[in-house]
Amino acid sequence: MILKMFILSFVVFLISCSSDDIVKKERKELYGIYRDLAKKSFEAVPAESSSRGDIRKTRRWLSKFNQPIVLISSTDFKNQATLIALGNNKEKLTWVSADGISLAYDQGILIATRGYSQDLYSLKYKSPEDLFKSPTAFYNKVHRYLNGENRYDDITFECKGKKIPSKTIQILELELTIDRVIEKCENEHYSYKNEYDLLAGTTIVIVSKQWISPSNQYFLTYNMYAFQKI
Amino acid sequence: MGFIRCLVFASFAASIINFNLTQKIIASEFEDTISMNSFGMPGDIDLPLATNLPDGQFSVSSSVFGGTIRVNLSFQILENLTGAFRYARVPGGGYNGYTWDRSFDLHYLMFKEKYIFPSVAFGLRDFIGTGIYSGEYFVMTRSFGPKLKISGGVGWGRFAGKNTFNNIFGRNNRGYRDVGRGGTLVFDNIFSGENSPFFSASYRVNERWQIISEFSSDVYSRETSSPKGFNRKSDINLGIKYSFDPTLTVMATLMNGDALGLTVNLGINPKNSPYQSGTEPAPMPILQTKYRSQDPKSEKEIMTESRRLLALEGIELKALKLFQNHVEVGIVNRRYLNVSQMIGRVARILSLTTPSSAKEFQINVIEFKSNLVVSEITMSRESFEENELKFDGPENLLGSVTISNSNKLFFDHYKKKGNDLSWSFYPYLDVMLFDPDSPIRYHIGAELSGRYKITPLTSISGSLRKPITGIMDEVKRGPKSGLPNVRSDFMYYHRDIGSNLFINFLTLDQYLKPAPYLYAVVNVGLLELMHAGIRAEIIWKNNQKPYGFGLDAAKVQKRDTLGNFNLKNEHYSTYLASIYYDLPKDWIVKLDFGKYLAGDLGSTLSIKRSFNNGWEFGAYATLTDVPFSTFGEGSFEKGLTIKAPITWFTGKKSKAVANAVIRPITGDGGAKLNLSKDKYLYNTISEYDTKKIHDNWKRVFR
Repeated sequence: MILKMFILSFVVFLISCSSDDIVKKERKELYGIYRDLAKKSFEAVPAESSSRGDIRKTRRWLSKFNQPIVLISSTDFKNQATLIALGNNKEKLTWVSADGISLAYDQGILIATRGYSQDLYSLKYKSPEDLFKSPTAFYNKVHRYLNGENRYDDITFECKGKKIPSKTIQILELELTIDRVIEKCENEHYSYKNEYDLLAGTTIVIVSKQWISPSNQYFLTYNMYAFQKI
Repeated sequence: MGFIRCLVFASFAASIINFNLTQKIIASEFEDTISMNSFGMPGDIDLPLATNLPDGQFSVSSSVFGGTIRVNLSFQILENLTGAFRYARVPGGGYNGYTWDRSFDLHYLMFKEKYIFPSVAFGLRDFIGTGIYSGEYFVMTRSFGPKLKISGGVGWGRFAGKNTFNNIFGRNNRGYRDVGRGGTLVFDNIFSGENSPFFSASYRVNERWQIISEFSSDVYSRETSSPKGFNRKSDINLGIKYSFDPTLTVMATLMNGDALGLTVNLGINPKNSPYQSGTEPAPMPILQTKYRSQDPKSEKEIMTESRRLLALEGIELKALKLFQNHVEVGIVNRRYLNVSQMIGRVARILSLTTPSSAKEFQINVIEFKSNLVVSEITMSRESFEENELKFDGPENLLGSVTISNSNKLFFDHYKKKGNDLSWSFYPYLDVMLFDPDSPIRYHIGAELSGRYKITPLTSISGSLRKPITGIMDEVKRGPKSGLPNVRSDFMYYHRDIGSNLFINFLTLDQYLKPAPYLYAVVNVGLLELMHAGIRAEIIWKNNQKPYGFGLDAAKVQKRDTLGNFNLKNEHYSTYLASIYYDLPKDWIVKLDFGKYLAGDLGSTLSIKRSFNNGWEFGAYATLTDVPFSTFGEGSFEKGLTIKAPITWFTGKKSKAVANAVIRPITGDGGAKLNLSKDKYLYNTISEYDTKKIHDNWKRVFR
């Protein structure tokens, strides 16, 4: 009896269908969730990688893009995505990936994400100009998240920004001299260290490592736009 | 069969492995299942503790020992108030030596532990029902360090079986309670009869393990006098709890020195969404006018582009009209449970597609099934764009937003494009609970649903079902006597339909909007499985007010038990007036009064706790002029309701919800028609209320 029930239910579920596109779409998404869950259950635990600078992209690779892009990556370089600029609201740029993730930056500072479960909904931050120009700065930052009940969860940090002497990094087969700004923020429960690599003598962020949220942790951002000829 | 067994074991093993048993448990402010006892309430093993569960926690738990099986649904109603509904198999009784019993509990935490003072709570166990578990208690709990907890209390009723002493309130005689009919509140017995003390101690070995000992005063007289029960050899209960994570705890027990037991406690909290703010794709970002093409576009081109972009978001654009200073659109929300988020997405697309001369967006929301224009939301374009990435963006924007009932009655630019027919073919699950012969009865089958729109406001909708497997057609108990069988003979329908194809419903639906605040529907045909006829509902709803009024009347004839077009010669009528009130702090109250299906006059009070993400937990009770003795078992109509949004479980945008009604007893007194949920207007109209939009406004830029 149980076997019959199981098989028949499964068959009915498999052949279920609808004329409604929305219903079809939602069904497809539901299948996707089950598929991902099953995949995740049997996947091996990924090895941790801590080194920075493992992003190996070439100028030839970049030349394939005919619109401005940024590259984002997890700190272990296992998840990477190329994003294109779709939004510009008073010079705050919003970059969107093909699978519907978006990140908004104010002159290199990540101020919002959309499409991750614990999104950075908005950010109260020090003006990028002030942060990148001063040798040392003390200020507060507030990371705002939406919780499961659509209410705000704010996390307030006390931060210290410090510019460290110029050094060279390699990106797109180029050796660049950069100024690095280290931003250390902490509160009772969390602490993080953001790094902004600025084109030497400017406030243009080329590469950054920025903390998003307790569950998403850090993202690396490579501002490929700075190297594109469009 | 061997393969299926392997599959089940493999799935079980995979889920156990996935629990990451070696990892540390992170304490959760949302779920706590280690603090629950075998009654699904705050406690150790059998006894209560003066603690509470996290606000909003919904728990399902089950315990088995010495012939007893308990299945508990509990809910942390308020921060200090816990409620539970229980279905238990108790040794001793007429069903193969057992009694199947339903009961309700309440537990109130009066004071929390502070300084040297212990926490104090009192509770009522089985205060509505047959009274088999009936008892009351006061309990105090004190922690000694982070690991040791000691509790002591005084109990009445079931808690006063051993080591008794005189009632501390002087009420030594506990009245007799009619175990046969049950379902009533017996306040006279509360805190009456002799008292007994009880004690418990628990020690938390680490985050996962806890050991417990109880000195119990419950003599389990019913259970120990039955051959299906156990022997009570001692006053001591011993237990060990293991917490997989805050949402799942397992407890092994030795009850009264004789019976080994096992309890599983599961808890979820609607506030603790696994996907937090959701994983649906990002919205279209704002691109300021100066970065866009300045070529002028016709209204038709703008409409086409807007429709395409909105369709990607799951929003259907029905109409777009450009005026000198504003743009007006009519949209159908198909995928967003959260209306504020949907409004934000519409505004983003309009900001991209419409000329900058449109300073204001006027968004008319058209209800999908009825085609009625429900609400009108207007907002300043400048304010929307200005606040997109601001820290307090949603709050700043709200000042420029107005929400009102739309003056438009229905969407009349409807053009027939061959999509007037919609259908779906899906499996269905029908569940019937609390039959002592088989406590869970079900039918699994296939359902073909369809809807054909004759005019924008008139449609024919129907559902054909084919049971494939299940045991709902094997109900042995017959209907109740004393009242016309308008509902309690439901088993005849399942029995006679068996595994045959049947018409679940088939109706002609006419929607109307006579005035901006008035909405109406008339349904004619086979309204539901048991009744056919005509039904009309009219509601008054100003979406800026938290309240609304409704009138629902029907004249019906009983359907044949085979689920075909034949009707029985049994005629009934019903009319009910309703008041709806959306209280502050997430409580929704509904009061119905009038004539119910069986001709009885009375009233239904429903109260629901709603969460901003769409979850709802509620309870209702109907009292009519039918005496409890005539109603029969259960005494009066009552039940629990749960509404769970699918998006909470998937993180994807979806308006789909799962509804459950847990009705301990199905009787004829206080019976209503049971049409599909979407045919009750208030549910769909109130979705676009100012309050609901404001409560979720923070999501406008998500």
